[in-house]
Amino acid sequence: MAFAMVAAKRMSALIFGFRAQSFFLFLLTFILAFRENSTQLYFITTMLFAIKVVLVPNFLRRVARRIKVNEDLGLSANPTVSIFAAVLLSYMAYLFTGKILSFPGEFENSAFFVSLSVTMIGIFLMMARMKALAQIIGLLVMENGMFLAAASVSGGMPFIVEIAIFFDILLVVIILGVFVFKINKLFTHIDVDKLTELKG
Amino acid sequence: MEIFPILLIPLALAGIAVLPGVRAGRSRKFGVLNAAGHFANAALAVLLALGLMRSGGPASFFGFFYADLLSAFFILTISVINFISALYSIGYISADVKDGVMSERKAKAYYSLFNLFALSMLCVPVVSNLGMVWVAIEVTTLVSAFLVGFYNKKESIEAAWKYIIICSVGITLALLGTILFYYTASRDGGISSLNWTDMETVAGSLNPSILKVAFLFILVGYGTKAGFVPMHTWLPDAHSQALAPISAMLSGVLLPTAIYAIIRFATITNVCIGTGYTGNLFMLFGLVSLGVGAGFVLVQRDIKRLLAYSSVENIGIIATGLGFGGTVAIYGALFHVFNHAAAKSLMFFAAGRAVKKYKSHNIREIRGIISAMPFAGAMLIIGVFALTGSPPFSAFFSEIMILLAGFKMGLWPQAALLLLFMAVAFGAIVFNISRPVFGGKPEGMPVEGEPLSGKLAFGILLLLICVMGIAAPGLFRDLLLAASEIIRGA
Repeated sequence: MAFAMVAAKRMSALIFGFRAQSFFLFLLTFILAFRENSTQLYFITTMLFAIKVVLVPNFLRRVARRIKVNEDLGLSANPTVSIFAAVLLSYMAYLFTGKILSFPGEFENSAFFVSLSVTMIGIFLMMARMKALAQIIGLLVMENGMFLAAASVSGGMPFIVEIAIFFDILLVVIILGVFVFKINKLFTHIDVDKLTELKG
Repeated sequence: MEIFPILLIPLALAGIAVLPGVRAGRSRKFGVLNAAGHFANAALAVLLALGLMRSGGPASFFGFFYADLLSAFFILTISVINFISALYSIGYISADVKDGVMSERKAKAYYSLFNLFALSMLCVPVVSNLGMVWVAIEVTTLVSAFLVGFYNKKESIEAAWKYIIICSVGITLALLGTILFYYTASRDGGISSLNWTDMETVAGSLNPSILKVAFLFILVGYGTKAGFVPMHTWLPDAHSQALAPISAMLSGVLLPTAIYAIIRFATITNVCIGTGYTGNLFMLFGLVSLGVGAGFVLVQRDIKRLLAYSSVENIGIIATGLGFGGTVAIYGALFHVFNHAAAKSLMFFAAGRAVKKYKSHNIREIRGIISAMPFAGAMLIIGVFALTGSPPFSAFFSEIMILLAGFKMGLWPQAALLLLFMAVAFGAIVFNISRPVFGGKPEGMPVEGEPLSGKLAFGILLLLICVMGIAAPGLFRDLLLAASEIIRGA
């Protein structure tokens, strides 16, 4: 799914990609919760669904519509190059997990590899997309990767920490949304590569 | 037990500030109340430190809050700087409201955010859980981003955006490091807990290779927040755009809270694989930050950015001290955290006054501060020497301790580099600041004194850096010593 997001040229497609990715994450943790049959995991799964699949994408869509930036994303790398870069990053993540970390279990190895690639692709999205909204989504993709790592590698962090992290993500998105509005009002655009008043 | 009032006071103040009846701008009452609250906080922090020293051991509540002498030291530093910033805010905010730069509503928002920011920073050293430390640090970013973008100008919004994006990415990497720590603790250590006290007890059995990678993520992640080069790019923007009291808090205590988080992880790592690995990394990042910071100070034309780069440089000194290891160097590093916070606040306050008066950040356009604002000008001169570590000010002693420790341990090249960069920074800051301070003031600019609250804030800071320079009180020394023993894992 992350690959589709790299290729996405339009904002709505990007937001849809994020929603779908979160949905897969939701399915995965749901399976995990079912297998371990723990109420805490069920609770976390519900929060995941509510926040990442419903609330955050809806909020982003509203922001995007309000400031009318549904056009193109200001790609600094075109889809083909982006896909190529994403593949390269995943391969690096694969090498990294295999050679340096070498987890004992096969499942953990692959799960960590996937989450690390998702994180790296998130960073790539933030670097290669010049719209402020796209950077938010890049950050969220990174968070998704983290969550996958936490859920699959260690069976979830302690309960209260998970809750706090969710709350945090919600806060980040809302605050960034507010700033997108402010940028849009003051600069009449949200192209981050044109934010260059401060140098040195 | 002092932890709870320490956390509750800022929370209550944040609430009071947004109450409809309260007028924070035009009347100074709320500002005074705010400062009084933070004074109480600083006093409580002293009590906490005393109590912990008397009982000798850490205190923990509900397995969630935890304070040992290292946390007590950080709480003390944070609350002292908070208090002084609150004091300075009284005059600053009411002047802004009077000039029409800030509306009454914004003044209320300012005080509310100020307290939330203070609260989130105080949370970092008192929670026992590394996950919650992460959350608290992320919250400090979110709250202070509003304070950075407070004036809603193009530059400040740009700075706030960069700040929040870069720090969030950094901190996400720190989360990955935390997850890896947790993974090896639960798999190899056999505990499912993120409390570092638990982790330290099982640290011996953790997987060294995972720990190494995890610590690298932590160092880069929280290092972004602490302002290590090359992740420092948000720092000069944010510090130069924030309001002067907030710049002081950002630079003086926010950066060290990130260092605090790194220290907690480093102690766990040290137990497992020895101090060499973390020490070398600290030294590398420290010296690079120091060198780059000193270089940028030299060429900087914007007075607040200059101070921001000086923060990068000072964080470099602190990290290098931590990297040298050994009681003396770590003691020096912690001492420098305190000294830098005090001296840098002094500088930001004085520079803030000058920027406001001259309506310019450019040190070429500012002339004759000493004759236009005798008090602030004098403070700026004193601050320059205090900041760069000249005797008899306290930063001299912390810097010399780190240096001596380095030479004594036979780390000649590192210590020599440290000395060289410190000398460059000294020359650069003295040169760049003395030009706007001296010279004739512009024609027709009225001479201006300092409001009482400002004078008090400057006076306390001056007292702190002088007293600590001549002889640190015995209790403070014991506190620092005990805290550095905790870092060494003794």
